[in-house]
Amino acid sequence: MRRGKIPFYAALAAFLLIMGLSSGPAWSAVGCDLNDPDRDVKRLFPGSTGYTAVTLEMKKMGGNKIAAQIEAKLRDKLHGLYETIDVPYTMYVIYANKKKIGYIHGVNQKGRYGGIQIFLVLDLDERIKKFYIQKMSGEYAGKFRDEEFAKQFIGLTLADFEQYDVLSSKGTGKVPEISNPAPEAALDFRYILRGTKKNLLFVNEFLRLSLELSPKKGASAK
Amino acid sequence: MITKFQVAYKNLLRKKIRSLLTLIGIALSAWVLVSLLGFNHGFETALNRDIDNMGFQMMIMAKGCPYEAATMMLKGGTGLKYLPESIGDAVRKEPDVEQITPMLMQAVFDPNKGENGGIAAYLGVEPISYGAMKTFLKFRQGGWFKQGDAYEAVMGYEAAELEQREVGDMILIPEKNVELKVVGILSRTGTQDDGTIFVPLRTLQKIFGKNDKLTTIGIKVRKDADSSRVETKFYELPDVQVVSLAQVKQTILSLVSTAKVLVLSIAIIAIIIAMVGVINTILMSVHERFQEIGIMKTIGAMPGDIFQLVWIETLLLCATGGVLGVALSLALSRVTEVVIRNVLPYSPKGGLVLIDLNLVLFTLCAISVIGLLSGLYPAWQAGRIRPLEAIRSGVNE
Repeated sequence: MRRGKIPFYAALAAFLLIMGLSSGPAWSAVGCDLNDPDRDVKRLFPGSTGYTAVTLEMKKMGGNKIAAQIEAKLRDKLHGLYETIDVPYTMYVIYANKKKIGYIHGVNQKGRYGGIQIFLVLDLDERIKKFYIQKMSGEYAGKFRDEEFAKQFIGLTLADFEQYDVLSSKGTGKVPEISNPAPEAALDFRYILRGTKKNLLFVNEFLRLSLELSPKKGASAK
Repeated sequence: MITKFQVAYKNLLRKKIRSLLTLIGIALSAWVLVSLLGFNHGFETALNRDIDNMGFQMMIMAKGCPYEAATMMLKGGTGLKYLPESIGDAVRKEPDVEQITPMLMQAVFDPNKGENGGIAAYLGVEPISYGAMKTFLKFRQGGWFKQGDAYEAVMGYEAAELEQREVGDMILIPEKNVELKVVGILSRTGTQDDGTIFVPLRTLQKIFGKNDKLTTIGIKVRKDADSSRVETKFYELPDVQVVSLAQVKQTILSLVSTAKVLVLSIAIIAIIIAMVGVINTILMSVHERFQEIGIMKTIGAMPGDIFQLVWIETLLLCATGGVLGVALSLALSRVTEVVIRNVLPYSPKGGLVLIDLNLVLFTLCAISVIGLLSGLYPAWQAGRIRPLEAIRSGVNE
């Protein structure tokens, strides 16, 4: 009879212990969001009538396995203190009259003097419709944020970046043809191309993994 | 030989469910009492710690100058007013002042932040006095600047994360085009320091051409000092405004004491209910054992023995309930904390419910004394049972 009571007390003790030890503070990493989504979505995606914002994290979608896949395709390590698996990414799914028409997605990329926030406006085929640097530090930041520089990215897809090496800045195809508007800031130019490739890779992985965001044409907003 | 404790224990075991329910009642009362007193103690400690962690309980700045980065951002980085550095000497002379730290806040417009540009702010500090005042600041990487005029920066956790900076990286002050080397990244503090970029005071004064100028002086007053008196004294200085956290603390404490009175009333009600439960349980037990007590008296038990026996039963119930309640409050203190945090409009960081040995002993003693008082009447009733009446009542049945 006494034996029968032990599991109950053990379960009670475990419950109390778990309740007692849980509820510590939880901090999350900083993601990359549009400063004013309502205004920015309209401006970046003309013709859109609405959007939904979905927060995605590598940690919740396969963790280190996904990180390793992205690193392999990027051909560079996700390094530093900030390219970790717990960084939340916001995917803006864009609609026109309840019909899904594209995505806007941003990433933080380390730059020479600070973080560069690179946003890509993509159609349902993950083709760049618009390129936007929301924030960048440095003397030549204005040149990289200029419309003329952004135009060079229109129409590019992940396939175009596959032959581009983010470490050596060499490759074949359309990406090496992108001209640097500020040759004095070659490092920042290289970081921007790396950030763009990283962004396309994340979008591709997130879309592949997320059923809700599965890029089925004609899907309508709820 | 069987002791009175053993007899009392066996008596309680006769009606297991009833004893258990009474025990639960007492345990819940003890839980409420410990949690409440623990909250009272923990909240005040945490609040004092929070105020201490802010480093300075008072700030002096020029009249009309924004004293928070957020306010300055709202004003578009403009509207800063300056104090001469010499005012620090006057403040330092005040006997109630323990420590001071001079600061200079500067902001520039960065056209490459967002669609319409944004403000980048920098705080010039003396690493020794600022670090000594904010001892809770810990470094995730690196440390403070080595020299007071170095072209270096220490970044708060969120500032570093947003700018993707690590020790050894560079930052550039827009407009001025001055490079600073990142030498330290702070761990997260949950305060506005997380979003701050710290620069040596002399360096920032030089970069912005504000030699011998300050925007703020942080002041730590002695613990036993009369903050209001010190504040009044500082108002005698020319063209300054004083922002004192002592007033904020006082306001929060008065709000909390109102809430405490309400919760204390609930605790007293819980204890009264538990007392009534104990009296009821023991009285019922005495009435059920009416005959048995009579027989005990017939074979030589004195009224005092019966009184003691019943009192011991009460004491056993209350002491066990008290121990269970204390254990429950210890185990669930974090949950209690979460609930309190959700209910209170403001709660400081750190442990809100502080249960120490003194509190545990106090509660156990209080519950036992309450138990003994509750047991007085049933024990007295049991002690005055007449043996013949008791035996006869059994014959009549």
